[in-house]
Amino acid sequence: MPREHKEYRSKARIYVDILASIMKHGGKSRPTRILYGANLSHDRLMKHLGQLIELGLVEEQKQDDAVIYKLTGKGRAFLIEFIKMEKFAEAFGITI
Amino acid sequence: MDLRLLTFLMEFVSSFISLLVGYYALKGYKEFSIKGLFFLYLGFIILGIGTFLRVFSATYFVILLRALEPAPHLRNLINLAGLIYTLTQLIAYSLFTATYILQAKALGERSLELGMVSAGLFPIYGLFFNPSLELIAIVMLGFITVHSFNNWILKRRSGSALVFLGFGFMFLSHLLFLFMIMEPVFLFFGQVTQLAGFLCLLAMLARVSRVHA
Repeated sequence: MPREHKEYRSKARIYVDILASIMKHGGKSRPTRILYGANLSHDRLMKHLGQLIELGLVEEQKQDDAVIYKLTGKGRAFLIEFIKMEKFAEAFGITI
Repeated sequence: MDLRLLTFLMEFVSSFISLLVGYYALKGYKEFSIKGLFFLYLGFIILGIGTFLRVFSATYFVILLRALEPAPHLRNLINLAGLIYTLTQLIAYSLFTATYILQAKALGERSLELGMVSAGLFPIYGLFFNPSLELIAIVMLGFITVHSFNNWILKRRSGSALVFLGFGFMFLSHLLFLFMIMEPVFLFFGQVTQLAGFLCLLAMLARVSRVHA
């Protein structure tokens, strides 16, 4: 029976998937929406969100008794830079 | 304008573009840990430095010293600079080849088969000529061009088309350098073609940099 291929995601790719998911929802989003967008478990998402906050790419805000995560200017710049680099690598046939 | 000066100017621009592409690849490797860009970064930086050293040495010896018929010791130095330049080119092309081989392995067997076919096809060229460093460069660039063409066919993106054209022109330039033995003007044509290749890579850089939020 063929073994199912599990795609490996680098840390940078996971960060970008989280940031892109927040960006998709207008720059701020609840954890549940990010969770689906980035295809992560709750525990892993919270761990990565903590790291993104430390890096200053995302900030945590309270809105109507709920926690939302907002993309910072630095986070937006990181995302744009990654998209540029992804296009550059793709042009040479390198997949990230 | 002196044709030689124009040739040096074209090589200088080519080396600058090569360093620029190398810097961009380094940025991707360091900031986003894109491992596939490491060999690309090394290759373009080595190619850029090698080309720049050749331009510098050729300009110094031929233009500044007006050494139309350089003394034997100068001739040896020029030859050494030329050899270093060719070796840096070969190292750079080997690194580009490694990039495509590793990528083909990562993508699976189908791409690897295509890679093996192209690797097997291009050494045939070597049978028609005496082996020399220039021919090795042609073989490697042939391999790289086939792979970049393959990538363009799969992706159908303008960036990959420009990379294919870039490597294709470089491949053509080395073929033209071979004819230099018969007619020196082929050196000029080769340099023009090489510059066209690097300009394609510059156009690709400009395209990928145009991303907005």
